[in-house]
Amino acid sequence: MTALHRRHTLALLLGIAATSLLPGAAWAEPPADSDPGFAVYVMNRLDDLFRGKSSHGRSSMEVKTEHFTRTLEMEAWSKGTEYSLIRILSPKKEAGMATLKAGNDLFSYLNKTGRTIKITGGMLGASWMGSHFDNDDLVRETRLSEDYELALTYKGTVADEPIYVFTLTPKPDTPVVWGKIETVIRQSDLMPLRQAFYDEEGERVRELIFGGHRIVGGRLLPTTLTMKPLDAPGEYTKFTYHSLEFDVDLDDDFFSVQRLKAL
Amino acid sequence: MNAFSLAWRNVWRNSRRSGVTIAAMAFALLTMLAYGTLSEGMLKKSEASLLDLEVGDVQAFALEYRDKPSLYERVENDAAVIGALEEAGMPVASRLLGSGLIAFEQNSAGANLRGIDVLRDARVSKIGERVVRGSWLQPEDIEGVVVGYRLAKILNADVGDEVVLLSQAADGSTANALFTVRGVLGSSTEAVDRGGVFLTQAAFREFFVVDEGAHQLIVRRSDGESLAVTAERVVKLAPGLDVVTRRDLMPTVAQMLDNAEVSSAVMMLIVYTAIGIVLLNAMLMAVFERIREFGILKALGVEPGGVLRLIFAETLLMTLCALALGLLLSIPALWYLSSVGLDIGSNVDFAGLAIDSQWVAVVHPGAFVNPIVTLVVVVFAATLYPAIRAARLEPLEALRHR
Repeated sequence: MTALHRRHTLALLLGIAATSLLPGAAWAEPPADSDPGFAVYVMNRLDDLFRGKSSHGRSSMEVKTEHFTRTLEMEAWSKGTEYSLIRILSPKKEAGMATLKAGNDLFSYLNKTGRTIKITGGMLGASWMGSHFDNDDLVRETRLSEDYELALTYKGTVADEPIYVFTLTPKPDTPVVWGKIETVIRQSDLMPLRQAFYDEEGERVRELIFGGHRIVGGRLLPTTLTMKPLDAPGEYTKFTYHSLEFDVDLDDDFFSVQRLKAL
Repeated sequence: MNAFSLAWRNVWRNSRRSGVTIAAMAFALLTMLAYGTLSEGMLKKSEASLLDLEVGDVQAFALEYRDKPSLYERVENDAAVIGALEEAGMPVASRLLGSGLIAFEQNSAGANLRGIDVLRDARVSKIGERVVRGSWLQPEDIEGVVVGYRLAKILNADVGDEVVLLSQAADGSTANALFTVRGVLGSSTEAVDRGGVFLTQAAFREFFVVDEGAHQLIVRRSDGESLAVTAERVVKLAPGLDVVTRRDLMPTVAQMLDNAEVSSAVMMLIVYTAIGIVLLNAMLMAVFERIREFGILKALGVEPGGVLRLIFAETLLMTLCALALGLLLSIPALWYLSSVGLDIGSNVDFAGLAIDSQWVAVVHPGAFVNPIVTLVVVVFAATLYPAIRAARLEPLEALRHR
């Protein structure tokens, strides 16, 4: 499997929370789309879509590759940007496995061996639970509005849907992996529809498709995120949120290595 | 008077000068012998560790494997291919290759997992003999691993410790299991030292959920058969596979081994030339110091041929003494170099090949031929010019010579 780096996305997927901000849908009125601050506003909303002071949710992940298809059920908790914890519920073989992110460290609890190991070095680039995401995606964070130059490059209607296209290019000296990101946002509610990621050579390497927009945990959210690596046609990882609640009460101790075993 | 008895007297008349000349020759012989046997030792060692531990002579893979190493690129009919090759008299063994993480307590490191067919592997690889602590894998042992020594050091794990292996299995699930370290290998190749984790094929298959096939077939050639011939036979018996020789797999090292004889010969030439110059100087001095003496001989009616014979007889006697002395001294020297060897400090990594810190000479009768022939040729060549000069001396001029 290609070890592309997919930082921003997985942070998004797993509800790794920003210390900010705005609970629920309490967004300020958007500026006019001609306003220079409009792009920043929309990208901030995208960054904070799944973020809260803390979160707890149930989700499933379907992975299809050339060699296998599998579905995992999981439960995840997060607190601030520092902590997140994901526990696998099924399949049976992997039930009980857990991944803990505490600061910049990543730990994996292995159900079969009863051991917790710290994921380091080369293993960071390896696939997470057989998906198209790698372990590194869990640790690194990118904030679109801070790490990229934003530009509204298209405004119009595609397939009966009025949309905006924002083109994001990395700011100089920012250590990001993408050469360019195109983000398609629908005009009606500023929800994301698609993101296309380009490498430094300008090659389109993967696509993230947002779907199932509905109100979950008091917010309007896309509840399915499908990542398609474009160098492997037919392959994808599809993430579906079944439930998600924000600002739940969680202690820091909850996110400890000791806790991993107890789960 | 007999040329030899005169020569014998002449040699010992100036025993200090002759002694120094003989010592120079003996030293030259010793140097050439030591250098030759040591460089042969280095060659043998590189070749042996490369072929015996990692590469074998010929390898076969699924067509895509070497371009894109993956758990899924396997030789599916491995059992049939092994059967065919064995029937043709070629030692062969399959290996399953994967990568992952190995952890012990708080330490973890990347691991190259090699699932081996313990019994067959011993016929193509000597890796099992490289165990320095503990023991090599037993065929039925599905819970044991043998690891490279640097890896053991990184993990701070040793024989008997339980390590965790973690990777992604072929079905996408997270492979994780506990294994017990059965043995730690001594230095072999860089990859094995730092990340080599050997386990039985049964254990590998269970861990990675791989039921059939193998990633790599290692074949050894029969004695005396050329690489190309072996490779051709393997291609015929294993159709549809990517068959490569050790030359293709490790071109730098193969080339190095090929060139080693040439480069060793060049080095020899340099050593021999330096020694030739020393000997030439000694012989020139030995003749030119005695110009007056030769003048007297000529004046007494000795023919130029007689002078020439006399000088060569002296040279021959000194050479024989030097050979006797040199060979006598070489016995303890070569014994030491071939049994104890030189300590070249910590392990040297050479083109991905870890070489032992003890550099040991390889001594065989053939190793003496070149140095002895060279010594004799150089000495006589060095004597030729001064001897001719002496033979042609005008007696009067020579007598006046100071």
